[in-house]
Amino acid sequence: MNTLKNKLLFAFVCFGIFAGCEKDDICLSTVVGTPDLVILLLDKDTGTRQSPSGFSIRPIGTEKELVRSTGDSLALPLQITEAITQFEFILNGGSENENIDTLQINYQRQDQFINGACGFRANFVLDQTPVFILNSGDNWIKGAVILKDTISDETAAHLGILH
Amino acid sequence: MKLLRTWVFYISLLTGAHSVSGQEVAVADSLQTVVLDSLDIKQKTPISLRFGADLYRIIRSRASDDYQGFEAVADLRIRENLFLAAEVGNEEITKQFEQVNFTTKGTYYKVGFDLNMYDNWEGMDNHVILGLRLASSSHSQFLNSYTLLDRAPFWQDPETEITSGFASGERLNLNAYWLEIIIGFKVQLLNNIYLGLSLRLNRLISDTVPDNFDNIHIPGFNKKTEENKFGASFNYTLTYRIPFQFKK
Repeated sequence: MNTLKNKLLFAFVCFGIFAGCEKDDICLSTVVGTPDLVILLLDKDTGTRQSPSGFSIRPIGTEKELVRSTGDSLALPLQITEAITQFEFILNGGSENENIDTLQINYQRQDQFINGACGFRANFVLDQTPVFILNSGDNWIKGAVILKDTISDETAAHLGILH
Repeated sequence: MKLLRTWVFYISLLTGAHSVSGQEVAVADSLQTVVLDSLDIKQKTPISLRFGADLYRIIRSRASDDYQGFEAVADLRIRENLFLAAEVGNEEITKQFEQVNFTTKGTYYKVGFDLNMYDNWEGMDNHVILGLRLASSSHSQFLNSYTLLDRAPFWQDPETEITSGFASGERLNLNAYWLEIIIGFKVQLLNNIYLGLSLRLNRLISDTVPDNFDNIHIPGFNKKTEENKFGASFNYTLTYRIPFQFKK
């Protein structure tokens, strides 16, 4: 009877260990969240990466500014509740011949399950026509090419902006 | 020694399909001896049927808006200390798990054996149970809402709830299979009425993973954690034994 009691006690302890030692439901900080759109500024003739002088980007519809708004490779956050996001691409900012082109990025959102603790991240798929240039006239941006139409990470550029 | 032989029999039952029949006969013979040894007075093993329901699931269904569940239990005594046992249940549960809100609906079946390890005094019928079950569920997962993981939210409040779109909706025709190791008690309250408590350690064998989602909750299995195949559950049963006993 004594051994039976011991066995039972052992069994209960085992149960407690297994029931209590579930993996913590914490979303690890190494897990990548919703990605940004990565763009490259490309020369329209040669296709090489090139940042024009006095270039910057300003998002439309918010007072916030991008963390990094200059350079030839930029990460642009996309709106989750809309299928479009608009940005002003500014050339020669602050000078006399400032040229602002307003670009609209078109996409569909497809949320991707990560795991129970982290939940979902948004992925985006660029439309066939990924970019509308909204202002007419003297455009310094000549077009856009899709480099990778599914935006699921930020390891490679998704969109090339030709100028 | 008695316990050892009983275990041998118990294990041989589980692996019975693959073992040599001669061995089975030998083991069965030795069990026969054991049974006879342990029963000085009674020569024949009573076969009796006992059935009932899980009280915990009934109470939880009443107490919580997010849970509806019922579990019927039954066991059949086939040896003095050995029972064929089964549970059948149905569950609908809505859970907020971290960033995800979902509803799981489904039915589950569990069949297996209970071994009574308690030596009763004459006239008593209490149980200390070691048991094993093979269980399966067929269920669906409905993703109600979630928030998106955004490490550097720019446009919107990261708590924005997504309730419709690409990922939302129901995932039908899902299955899961698992094993349960059970320890528990059954106490005879009145002549044919028993109150039982069992703790179950579950080991998932396989499950159909829903498209772009996961079986965070499986009916009968409870919570499934990522990269960890173990789960736990329990029940608290009230059972009634049919007074009529067949003689073998």
